[in-house]
Amino acid sequence: MSIKDEFTKGLWKTIAPFRLVLGLCPTLAVTTTGLNGFGMGMATTFVLVFSNLFVSLLRKFIPAQVRIASFIVIIASFVVIVELVMQAWFYQLFKILGIFIPLIVVNCIILGRAEAFASKNNPIMSLADGLGIGLGFTISLFVLGSIRELLGSGTLLDIPVMWSSFEPFAFMLKPPGAFVALGILLALMNLISQRQARKGGAR
Amino acid sequence: MRDILKMMVVLTLIGAASGMALSLIHSATKAPIEYQTIKFVKEPAVKKVLTDYDNNPIADRKKIVVGEDERGKPIEVIIFPAKKTGEIFAVALEGKGKGFAGLIGVMVGVSKDGKLLDIGITSHSETPGVGSKVAESSYTERFKGLKAEAGVKVDAISGATYSSKGVVSAVNQAIGYVNKFGKEIF
Repeated sequence: MSIKDEFTKGLWKTIAPFRLVLGLCPTLAVTTTGLNGFGMGMATTFVLVFSNLFVSLLRKFIPAQVRIASFIVIIASFVVIVELVMQAWFYQLFKILGIFIPLIVVNCIILGRAEAFASKNNPIMSLADGLGIGLGFTISLFVLGSIRELLGSGTLLDIPVMWSSFEPFAFMLKPPGAFVALGILLALMNLISQRQARKGGAR
Repeated sequence: MRDILKMMVVLTLIGAASGMALSLIHSATKAPIEYQTIKFVKEPAVKKVLTDYDNNPIADRKKIVVGEDERGKPIEVIIFPAKKTGEIFAVALEGKGKGFAGLIGVMVGVSKDGKLLDIGITSHSETPGVGSKVAESSYTERFKGLKAEAGVKVDAISGATYSSKGVVSAVNQAIGYVNKFGKEIF
């Protein structure tokens, strides 16, 4: 696979929350607005890119028996860096995301990519992989957050966009609303993939 | 044997390197984080408890040392003074008290003549809907106008006794600082 393939696979083919249904805890919990989802996605992307890079650089140096422990130390360090940086310069976002920032440590996408990809591939490929998966995650959270924000509070990126008599469904901002929105998105994605597969078969 | 040694060395090195990187980042972000917490957490509470001032209490803040912790490090408290025509007539400072779940931070406004002006909760992790009621004005207003002497007592919120006690002990801590270090403060 080329670098481009490694990058683009994370954007559609294996887009983490929708295709692999991984990393659902932050996906469902913080996506009450598009911007929150975007912020969470960027924080995760940062950790993913750097943990992939460092795991890949150190892959020949880390003995197989302690690899998971080493990966976790590397991941946890970058998570703390993100936490401190957000607290210092993006305090309001930090307060909204709260506990979900430290919980990036246990996001299975990140450990999953370190174990399944970065520990077996060179740093450039790992960077492309991390960037692709991370951006895919960010897009997923942003789209899900925007849908919930639009229906739940009638705004998009904090700007009111719905007609004036629009009555927001507060339900969409609650946890069940997150599941419903995710389910609808999954169904849509499956529909598109089926269409594509049928077209491919007819040819 | 060699494997075990290698594992130990590698893990130690990775741990040490990440520890070093984190301590560097920590010291680099320390000042901005302090600024952010003052701006977003303390400033709204200070503005709530102090009124009728013509200075900027945030810019005029000063630190006083109120004691030492168990490791011998000085414990600092930030004092936000309210001035009128150059004279301090009241201060706001934060006290902490143990609530139902962790510490409750309370910004306390104390006037120079020894009265409680108002209080504002800066941080707490009390149960939402139960203990969190202590942050509502119906409770914080009960402190208005009380004498700033040791052992302030206020009726607790029923169902949230521990949280109420936490707030009261935070207020008493702040009052204790004012009474003990009054000369430095005013």
